[in-house]
Amino acid sequence: MGEPEAATEHRPSELLAALKRVGVRVVVSVPDGWLGEFLVQVGQDPAVSLIRATHEEEALAIACGARLGGARSVLMIQNVGLLTMGAGMVCLAQRYQFPILILASYRGSPEDPVFYHIPKGRATEPVLKGLGLSFTTVRPDQAIGPQVERAATYAEESSLPFVLLLSREDVQW
Amino acid sequence: MVIRALPQRRDYYRVLSECLPKEALVVTALGNASYLWAVVREAPENFYFEDAMGLALPLALGLAIAQPERKVVVVEGDGGLLMHMGVLVSVGAVAPRNLAILLIQNGVHAASGGQPVTSPNLDFAALGRFANLKRADNIDSAEDLRAELSSVLRAEGPSLLALATEPDIDVIAPPVMFDPVMTKRRFMGAIGTPAYVSTMFGGGVLVDT
Repeated sequence: MGEPEAATEHRPSELLAALKRVGVRVVVSVPDGWLGEFLVQVGQDPAVSLIRATHEEEALAIACGARLGGARSVLMIQNVGLLTMGAGMVCLAQRYQFPILILASYRGSPEDPVFYHIPKGRATEPVLKGLGLSFTTVRPDQAIGPQVERAATYAEESSLPFVLLLSREDVQW
Repeated sequence: MVIRALPQRRDYYRVLSECLPKEALVVTALGNASYLWAVVREAPENFYFEDAMGLALPLALGLAIAQPERKVVVVEGDGGLLMHMGVLVSVGAVAPRNLAILLIQNGVHAASGGQPVTSPNLDFAALGRFANLKRADNIDSAEDLRAELSSVLRAEGPSLLALATEPDIDVIAPPVMFDPVMTKRRFMGAIGTPAYVSTMFGGGVLVDT
């Protein structure tokens, strides 16, 4: 039996459903154009608390605090946030071993039509490797739900943050 | 004219220890904020920061969201808050009723040798009020803190008390080992945080301990 195919699914809906299946109670976000409507949907969902933070490093610490208190939490940010949260990532999330799932829109990839994101796209994967963060890019030919569930499981099993890089089709509602 | 000396951090901590409700959780920022609190009131319900300057308050915000039935007290420094001032706005927006912020305002980065902070005399209470905190006051004596703290800890927050404090540059030796993972596990065990239990194939679940 192979992986479920992604033929007709509305991927953002499936992504949100997967977060709820794994028991995410708190979504901490900093905006991105692709995430806008998704976060509106999260904010209207009574099963999940949406926290709109002012900075990605702050968002990471809020997510760590929620997990410390027993609420499974996830970060939803643009990939630029992976560049701005470095100190908190190594000194808090990794040092204290918080299993935080980070969903990051992968701006500046070759598929992104907005050219000014390119510098961030070029830096993203080298920075993740430099920070020692485990990550993967969502496969567009496969259903997104199981990929999210595996990423969340990886974070928990490794007791460390895990980054899932999203395309526009994955998250733009 | 009588010039009153500013209280020491220790003076404020004694008051906090006297007034702290039994079920309260305490998050302390790096350096003497944590080391001295461990001297005054070591407990598994303390979450000590080892480093990660500026992130004690956002972590406490997340904790307060996840533990709405317990009072969460965070001790942050003025230098730390200045590094992530935006979190005050987040606290005001989320408005957790169980969060109380004690801000040690000593005007210096004590943990790194006493360099002055960017703006030593900032009116943090005014900033807190503008950020929509329920209550925010500037305090400059242990007696005033004692008078305010009991009501702050009983009333709905979020609240901020900015404590004018004499700088303490000398590093205080904590009585316990500050191992980050041990700190986290001990804290989670003390408050009964659900534990992650893995399954052989596929995702695990959080289970009440």
